[in-house]
This record gives sequence, C-alpha cells and structure tokens, in this order.
Amino acid sequence: MERRKFIQQTAAAASLTAIGGLTLPSFTKKKKHITILHTNDTHSHVEPFEASHYKYANKGGVARRANLVENVRKENPNTLLLDAGDIFQGTPYFNYFGGELEFKLMSMLKYDLATIGNHDFDNSIEGLYKQLPNANFNFVSANYDFKNTVLDTHVKPYQLFIKDGIKIGVFGLGIKLEGLVSPKMYKETKYEDPIGVSQDMSRILKEEEQCDLIICLSHLGYYSKRNPTAVCDLNLAKATKNIDLIIGGHSHTFLPKPTVVRNIDNQNMLVNQVGCYGINVGRIDFYFDEENNITSKGRSIIV
Amino acid sequence: MHATLNKIAFTFFLSMLLFSCKQEKQIVTKVTAKTIAVDTSFTPVKAITNTIAPFKEKMIKEINTTISYTPKKLVRTDGDLESSLGNLIADLSYSRANPIFKKETGKNIDFAMFNYGGIRAGIPAGNITNKHAFELMPFDNMFVVVELTPNKIEELIAYLKTQQTAHPLSKHLQLTLTKNSFKLLINGKKFNSNRNYFILTTDYLQGGGDNMVFFKNPKNIYKQNYKMRDAIVDYFKSKDTIKSTLDNRFKRK
Repeated sequence: MERRKFIQQTAAAASLTAIGGLTLPSFTKKKKHITILHTNDTHSHVEPFEASHYKYANKGGVARRANLVENVRKENPNTLLLDAGDIFQGTPYFNYFGGELEFKLMSMLKYDLATIGNHDFDNSIEGLYKQLPNANFNFVSANYDFKNTVLDTHVKPYQLFIKDGIKIGVFGLGIKLEGLVSPKMYKETKYEDPIGVSQDMSRILKEEEQCDLIICLSHLGYYSKRNPTAVCDLNLAKATKNIDLIIGGHSHTFLPKPTVVRNIDNQNMLVNQVGCYGINVGRIDFYFDEENNITSKGRSIIV
Repeated sequence: MHATLNKIAFTFFLSMLLFSCKQEKQIVTKVTAKTIAVDTSFTPVKAITNTIAPFKEKMIKEINTTISYTPKKLVRTDGDLESSLGNLIADLSYSRANPIFKKETGKNIDFAMFNYGGIRAGIPAGNITNKHAFELMPFDNMFVVVELTPNKIEELIAYLKTQQTAHPLSKHLQLTLTKNSFKLLINGKKFNSNRNYFILTTDYLQGGGDNMVFFKNPKNIYKQNYKMRDAIVDYFKSKDTIKSTLDNRFKRK
C-alpha cells in the first residue's frame, strides 16, 4: 500500500521535473537527501568480540564501525552520526581510563551528537564532566536539569544542524535516574517528564526553529511488556507530534527494522534501536521534496 | 495558436521563476531504513586501531599486575556450607564497607551476606592479579547496607536452612543446622527478636536477586558508592599475602 503510494508520488515528481527540464534546465533541482547513522549502548566495547564469543563472535569494534561510517559519508556527505547514550561501562577500558578512549574514538569517527544514558553517570557526574574535553561532539538532554551540577551550560536541550539547506533539530531525553543510579552519582540532576518535555520540544523545533526534520535521541528504552504504561519510546511516539524519528537506547533492543508508529496527529513516524555493544549501526535515509512539488502530504516509509 | 502556446510557456516560466526566488519548504516524501551489522566485511580503520593500541597495552599490563599473593588456591567449593573464597569475600567486604557505614551512621554492620552464584571464578595458588578480581566479580554490583527487622532475619535464616548452599557469610554470623533445629549467634550473641540488624549485601541481591526476597523493602537502605570488585581489589592491594580458612561459621551437625 505504502509502496504503491510512493511509486505514484515518484512518477508525479518525475514528470514535473521533466517539464521543468525541457523549459529551463537550470530549474531542475536534485532532491535533497539526509542520512542518519546511529548507535546506542556501545558500553565501552572498543574492540570486536572475540572469535570464541558464544553470541557475538567477531561482531562490533570501533575500527570497523569507522570504515562503515566512512563509506556512508562518501556516498552521502549529508550524513549525521548520532548516539543514544550508555557509551560508558562494560569493558575494563572504562574501568581503567574512565571513558577517555570511548570519547576520543567517537570524536575520530566525527560523531555529531549524543545523549546521556544512566551508565554515563557510573563515575559520577564529575567523571562524565572530566571526560568532556575528549569529546569533539555535544551532548543534548531536554529533560535533565543540570542547573545545580557541573554539567550546567555544558548540555543543551537540543542542537540544530543544516545539511544541504535542510534544517535538522535533534533533542535528547534521559531516563529517570532515581532507583537506577545512586544519587551520589547524579547529584542534583533533576529529571522532568519526557512526554511533556517532548511536546514542548517538538513545538519549539517545528514552529519557532522551523526545522524540516525533527529527531529525538532517547535513552528511555523501547517498551516494557511488564510495565506497558511506563514512559518508553513507543508510548512517547504515540503521545507526540512532528517528531520524524526517535532513536532509542537503554533496553538493548535488537529491532530487525524500525517500528512505524502513528503519532497523536495520526502521522507515521519511526522508532528505532540497534541493540548494543556497537554490533549494529542503524541507517535511516530521508528524501525531501519542495512543498509545492508534492501532491499529498503522506510520506512513503519503506522499511 | 502560437500566441496561446507562448502565453502558457511564459506563465510557466514566470511561475518557475517565482518558485526559485523563495526558499521552498522541504517536506519528507520518502524514508528508507536498514540495520547494518558491524562484521568482518568492514576493514578496520588504521587510525582507530593505532589509537586503541597504547590504551590496550596499558590495560593488559594493569590487568596482569600482581596485587597480592595466595599460598593456596581459593575456591568456593572446598567446604560444605562455607568455602575459603566465600569466607574471604564476605570478610573482606565487611572490613572495607563497615568503616564507611560507621562514618555515615555511627553504627556497625552486623554481618555480610552474598550469594554463592555471584562468585564467578576461583583464584589459583600464586600471584593474584587484577584479572583474578575481574574474573571473580565481573559484575558491577554495588555495596548496600539494609536494616532488617527480626522477622526478615528469620526469613534470611530460613532461606539458608532451605538452600543448604555455601553462600558467602561473614564471620560475624555463626549458624549451626541440626536435624530439627538450629543454633544462631550474631557477633557471639543470641539472636535478639527485639532489635533490627544491619546487613551488608549488594544492590543486585537487595533487589531480590537469587530469590533473596528478605532483602526487599527493608526498614532502611544505605547505598554505598563502592563496587564489590573495587573492594576486592583494594583489599588485595592492602595485603601481601591472603589468608583464608574454613572456620565452621555455617555448618550442619
């Protein structure tokens, strides 16, 4: 169904371009295309799993991930590389170097942005702050209030990117820390309700910032069967509007493909998460058209 | 005829010009997605491998650094309801955590209790390295002290009686199981059903791990910002030689 709609739309767009091409070649514009690459819960897995590993033999590794990212950037320079948190904790690299290597490598891979996971507080908020100089990328969190902590002014609610004239707004969300992390670790960090914050964020990014693409980097977890009403990516997606993509983390959910969710406005959007430990990288491609070039507002989502 | 065509063409030209003058709003029309497995089909990037190399070297060196010595092997299986390694782990945990607790509350922890399954490896006789500590305790479990009511202590004892497993217990607890009854001493004193007790365990077990449900909903909970593995490493570093024996702290008659 969606595929057919997509074909019809492409046909209409193609014929328009053809007429334009005949009359005035200079008006033929290439359709804009943004690629999003994303990881989550890499948990200090700097090196690939050993060949003898029972589950993830020879999978992962930052050096290989770097090659993957290079290839995609060569193919489409208008690429953003994002991480949904829990960069820290999981191998002795973290125990011995406190996250220095993880941040240095992510900087070499030219990560554009990340959000903060609960394990990123494992060396306390000061431990995270201490490693920030090793990160050539920013962190966003819209629902952690860091006002009375060392991270104050270092973490913004959202960040804007302009790629090929497309304005992209990315905001971050973190999980409730109480009961999950010792208060001695997160100190005065205040947690705010992610749903309310996201409703505000999507309005700001859509109406005030006039973003063409809105992405949420979430460390809330995909969905809990045991606690179906708990705040999670699926429930967040249903309760908000204007968010095109939620990139999730925390629950280490290996989604075979992104989930298409109808938001509060009955529009289709995507929720994705790629497991953990850098075993997978998610890739989402957004293709754009000028508003007056398209016949219907529906988008075709091919997953 | 020609004039009409020209007019149409002109209108089209004009409208194209108008479109191009202002930045048109961009709308997402198509989205595609795929998950890419990071596997051997990708060539490792040299610059990354080179950056990792000195960290790796230092890490391996640190991991293999000798931090103590044991004249005999320490395992969890050399006793009946206790073990040399279990006794060691429970006693060293108590000795590392009690000063923190005392400083915070002015009170002493009564005893420490962990789970047999949580000891993941033994230590062979000879030099002890950081690696042994990681293998023994690969989890990032944190110390917590719980204040338990006498009823919960009775549940704890009942659990030990039913399980009959060498769960690590610190020397402060002495429990002898007889055929139909048991004898219990806590710090050399009889169990007092009119007072609460302070027990050291981990956040994992406190959450009900290994069915230790008596740790749930305690009267009070004191979380320590101290990982059990760090306590093990700190203790090993403070002792030239590790000594641990079986002392019948938990036995059946």
